[in-house]
Amino acid sequence: MMNSLTQLSARGSLAALLAIVLSSCVTARVEDARENPTGLKEGEAVVVMAKSYHQGNETEADYIECVENAVGRGSQRLRVVPNQQFVDALFPWFEPRTAPADTKGLVQLMERPGVAEAVQRMGVRYIIWLDGDTSRVAQGGSLSCAAGPGGGGCFGFAWWQNDADYEASVWDLDGYESAGTVTADFSGTSFLPALVVPIPLIARTQSKACKGLANQLKLFIIGSDAT
Amino acid sequence: MIATNRLKYPVILIALLASGCSSTVAFDFPTIPQPHVEKLPLIVALRIPDEFYNFVHEENVLGKKTWSIELGASNATFFKQVFGYMFDKVIVLGPDDDALDYVFDALVEPRIEGFEFSVPNQSKTDAFAVWIRYRMQVFDSAGTRASTWTVSAYGKSQKEGMGGSNSLRRAAVLAMRDAAALILLQMNKATKIGALADGPLDISDFDAPKMVENVSFEEDDDDNIGIFAIGGIESDDE
Repeated sequence: MMNSLTQLSARGSLAALLAIVLSSCVTARVEDARENPTGLKEGEAVVVMAKSYHQGNETEADYIECVENAVGRGSQRLRVVPNQQFVDALFPWFEPRTAPADTKGLVQLMERPGVAEAVQRMGVRYIIWLDGDTSRVAQGGSLSCAAGPGGGGCFGFAWWQNDADYEASVWDLDGYESAGTVTADFSGTSFLPALVVPIPLIARTQSKACKGLANQLKLFIIGSDAT
Repeated sequence: MIATNRLKYPVILIALLASGCSSTVAFDFPTIPQPHVEKLPLIVALRIPDEFYNFVHEENVLGKKTWSIELGASNATFFKQVFGYMFDKVIVLGPDDDALDYVFDALVEPRIEGFEFSVPNQSKTDAFAVWIRYRMQVFDSAGTRASTWTVSAYGKSQKEGMGGSNSLRRAAVLAMRDAAALILLQMNKATKIGALADGPLDISDFDAPKMVENVSFEEDDDDNIGIFAIGGIESDDE
């Protein structure tokens, strides 16, 4: 009895160790490039936006939502104005077709009737524009499953690699200038070994890229004195 | 009794399989937010065609399933709302109303010229896309056609969930918002409708066709005075 318990425990530990080793297979690089000093005063907020699909951007809606949530949580959380609320409040100037492509158009945009007032009402100081996506860059292995009257099972081994490359451009609405950019490049390999039962060891590349970018954005924005 | 039961299960199975081959996307009108644009000092009559009250687009994606997109009365509500934001006063005319019974500076007749969509297995991406093309004819108060303008709107939404209905609906909402933005920001520039506040066009300047009351216009009635423009936002300062 004791022996079988020890064996079970050893197998469990081995499986857990293997799972940790394999599932943690994500490499990360997060960098920022500052152009101007940043900082947030009491009551000021940020808004997280996706660059327009008219410019070929493919950033996933759930990634934007993830960054929005992650920036608004944690020890150094920022006040985040929901993306849709911001777009609706400034209609039609932040629609995919009409949103400014660079900071040069910001001054002119703020002079439009009601635009600066709406921004001020929401307390938005920074617009964070997200660009990039997560894509599968490699895959391999083979896995086959079969089922019969006596049961079924899978045998084989499959793997795939996802790359999450995102860039966040931070615009300061105080001086209508670019504050800088934060980039996150994450690469993760997932494995699916199967010996009767498939054991998925998934690398959560996009999720980690979200947290990594959000944490760096928080540091970037509150990291230097307000001007 | 046993025979009935034997028949019942294949029928249910076939019904389940058949329901998996078609998808209906019912569309609630997307509220267009109050825009930050100045109203044009114009009384505009808006003639809403019948199709705007019950528009259904059906399309069979080859080898896949049939999509049915029910826009319902969304188009009618859409134009009433956008024009309400854009002009001082809007008079809504039904298909059978006689325009001569009303006083206005300009009359606008919108139509749907095209509705298209793509699903991920067609575009080889993870996105649903919707294109809507509206054609608007603008007449002055005397019934002379002042211009024709085609608005090409586009919306795209990433695939979420299993069926894709929500993503397609979202893409359609974005396309209508795109159309609203184009109309609000470009219509005056493209059609010169604002100039009609000064009175009807001087038809001695050109050989403009006259509006015929309660009669639909032919598809191929492009004329040499109409302004044709595909969507796109340009600076006002040009």
